[in-house]
Amino acid sequence: MRFKSPLIAISAVGVLALSACGGSGSSSGTAGNETQNNNELGNTGNGQDPTAKGPVTIAGAKKGGIVTVLTLTGLTTTLDPSEIYYTDTSSIMSGLVTRSLTQYKYDPKTKQMILVPDLATDLGTHNDNYTQWKFTIRSGVKWGENGQPITAKDVAFGMVRCMDSTTFPTGACPYYSNAYFKGGSSYKGMYTDPGSKFKGIKVSGDTITINMAKPFPDMPYWGTFPANGPVPSDKKVSDPKTYKKHPWSTGPYMIKSFNQSKELVLEKNPYWDPATDPARTQYPDGYDFKLQQQSEKIDQIMLADTGTGQTTLTYDDLLAPDFTQMKQKAPDRLTLGGSPCTYYWAPDNRKITNKKVREALSWAYPYKNVILAGGLIPNVNAIPATNLMPPGLPGRTPYNVTGRQGFDTDPAKAKALLKSANATGYEIKFLFRTDDPVSVKGKDAIVKGLTEAGFKATPVPTTTANYVAARDNTTEDINVRSAGWCSDWPSGSTWLPTLFGSTNPDKTHSFGTNYTAFSNKGVDAQMDAIQKMPLEKQADAWNALDKQIATKYFPLFTTYYTGVAQAHGSKIMGDNDDNTLGMPTWKDIWVNQ
Amino acid sequence: MGISATELAEAPVGAAEAPEGKKLAGRSPTQIALQRLRQDKLAVVCFGIVVFLVLCGIFAPVICNLLNIYPTAATIPYDPSEVLDFSTGLPLQGPPNHGFWAQHPLGMAPQTAVDNLARLLYGLRTSLFVATAATVFSTLIGVVLGLVAGFSRGWMDRIIMFVTDLFLSFPFILGALAMAPIIVSHFAKPGQLGTLSKVQLFSLIGILVVFTWMPLCRLIRGQVLSLREREFVQAAQVMGVPTRRILFKELLPNLVAPIVVATSLSLPAFVTAEAGLSYLGIGITGIPTLGQTIFDAQSWWEVYPLYLWAPVLTITVLVLALNLLGDSIRDAFDPRTRR
Repeated sequence: MRFKSPLIAISAVGVLALSACGGSGSSSGTAGNETQNNNELGNTGNGQDPTAKGPVTIAGAKKGGIVTVLTLTGLTTTLDPSEIYYTDTSSIMSGLVTRSLTQYKYDPKTKQMILVPDLATDLGTHNDNYTQWKFTIRSGVKWGENGQPITAKDVAFGMVRCMDSTTFPTGACPYYSNAYFKGGSSYKGMYTDPGSKFKGIKVSGDTITINMAKPFPDMPYWGTFPANGPVPSDKKVSDPKTYKKHPWSTGPYMIKSFNQSKELVLEKNPYWDPATDPARTQYPDGYDFKLQQQSEKIDQIMLADTGTGQTTLTYDDLLAPDFTQMKQKAPDRLTLGGSPCTYYWAPDNRKITNKKVREALSWAYPYKNVILAGGLIPNVNAIPATNLMPPGLPGRTPYNVTGRQGFDTDPAKAKALLKSANATGYEIKFLFRTDDPVSVKGKDAIVKGLTEAGFKATPVPTTTANYVAARDNTTEDINVRSAGWCSDWPSGSTWLPTLFGSTNPDKTHSFGTNYTAFSNKGVDAQMDAIQKMPLEKQADAWNALDKQIATKYFPLFTTYYTGVAQAHGSKIMGDNDDNTLGMPTWKDIWVNQ
Repeated sequence: MGISATELAEAPVGAAEAPEGKKLAGRSPTQIALQRLRQDKLAVVCFGIVVFLVLCGIFAPVICNLLNIYPTAATIPYDPSEVLDFSTGLPLQGPPNHGFWAQHPLGMAPQTAVDNLARLLYGLRTSLFVATAATVFSTLIGVVLGLVAGFSRGWMDRIIMFVTDLFLSFPFILGALAMAPIIVSHFAKPGQLGTLSKVQLFSLIGILVVFTWMPLCRLIRGQVLSLREREFVQAAQVMGVPTRRILFKELLPNLVAPIVVATSLSLPAFVTAEAGLSYLGIGITGIPTLGQTIFDAQSWWEVYPLYLWAPVLTITVLVLALNLLGDSIRDAFDPRTRR
């Protein structure tokens, strides 16, 4: 899953007007993090509970209150359940608004997310080789907008609707529904090709039967995505052009108003029945998401903890100096935890063809200086990385192809590698955003590091508004791209096929999610073979392949794993880290009035 | 040649007080104004401060060389991760957590380990350069257009005033915000970072000029409108003096006072405008400016106050001194204020 969309250019209108209580002047404490196990970042809910039942009650929780949420992002990526594939929109919508086949529930004991049923009565039943899945849709669930009951047909309609990759190009369905469902690879979609009918999903009564083209043991995980939930089959309501502005509610809250880049207001859904929902609750009266707020401002509100600030939370990481203060002042109001994400530098394998040059790059990259310049908090949201797949993914065994430790940089080694590759002075062209100070500072650090290591560093300027387009442009005059990727669920199948599946950017003019443009027929075949293996062998096989790719091809190098360092007001209860997405556990939040 | 108002005004004002043994000398209004300025203590102090800051800016490279400090992340000779606390980003030596450190008198910037003093000096240099250049160009444009519009009557006047109104009605910040990304995308080519920062610098000056010449143009036009009906101008016209000569030899000397006043007051306005635009991210990449430093420092104001207050105080002192000096100049040049 893509990491939440990068910040959008914000005109800083406010002056330094917000005051906080005077913290202690010195802050020399270390920013270690006791509550988070950095070896278990990607261990995001292997637990399952097919028998979980509603209603959920939280001991001592009170009803009422409005929860204010502040964030730098603008929720500018789509809210249409069929296309949601960013961590922020995905978490907010499936936590509060849209229900799907299955869902996650926070377990306070293990601090893990457990897979539980949602609209389905259980986690589905499958045949022996996972090529057919059956889900029974529970009764008593109603649309928030008109109070009409939701049927298995609505769910099936939603599941088929998202398989239109032309209408929903940035969604997740092309990688899973289209890839695994029988007939999915040739199905164009109900909007692109209205005449065709998708035959992979069948409905009889309240049972949905999905036939697979190849074994898909991860179907219950894929079922947690909003794409696998109901959408009104009324063509006027679910028109892709308008539905993204107001997706219909099936969860405890529904959209009252949504103004992109400004505000998202949620109110209670009167038709939501707690007895039908094994994980969600409906304690607060509503949510008020205030979007595109300045990070400095958010941090000051969280630190001050006065007035409505007490009922406010943020899912942005605190800035490093504010994190240090918060840790001293109110460590109980910090929400810490992991997220199954890896940041990496992706050399364009079409251009940087020599493996030694890519290895030299991994030795030259100034990890520490970039992290310092970015204001990240070491070991909290910047954790030394080795494997592409973050720690905790099933079957993962740490490997270290280059022998580099932690955030170490070694210009001498990089120089030697470059020399042996006969590529001293190799030119590295990478993007930076002139209007984002963090990006400019990072650029300075990278230029310095690469130059010291014998590269020729050529930063290519762009603006925040054009950054994503420039990075995704296959013909842009750059040869390294910076990217991040998060597990869709704890399995190698959400990492390797999405990041290393062969692409042909010259022809298709799109990287998809493969920014290295790594293409290798042999690796493709191996991935295909793993997907057909018995389930218990897959985890090890994915990790073996991850290591094999790194050893043999070294197509990219990881820069750091990440976690969350979020904060909430003193009256917000139940705000924990949903480590499948690195977002708050919306389902458990209540206001202590 | 016509008798200019300047010469007419050369009445022997100071004649009575002329010291013994010296010739009675006529003094121009400019000379009178300068003398008044010299007697104004506040003006002298402010002038001193401005000269000091200007010298700091001009000799920034020399000072930095002497102190062995560096203004940008690209030039520092040490590795930031070795002099900064990795977990907090704060310097391991010097302010804010440790005492004064002679090697870096104002401390090091958190996160990047750039020297604060060096950055301040170079920022001052950029700010003053931008402000001076913008003032010179906007004054030139404003004066020339004002003179032409005021003197020409008829269609020329109407066209110039229409253009002036047009520019006045255009929102400044919006224009600046719109220009920045266009410039970046146009000059964003690999290996042209130096060009880009130069283009950004001059386009910043350009934006400031384009949106600030209008008030001076209107002011000059108004003055010219009243002056051109005066006898010396009419006499010159009757004698067949070329228009260019009337404009620059007859009218311009009479406009020195408003021009000097407008200039001295627009300098500090440009300094703040440059800082504001840099703060909004419409500034310059690769060259330190005061606005950028303030923007970087704002999230550290509680943990590392010196980092923020140094550039804020510098800009405040500079602008205050320039403003007070401008006020004194206006008082000195205004014949109605007799002190």
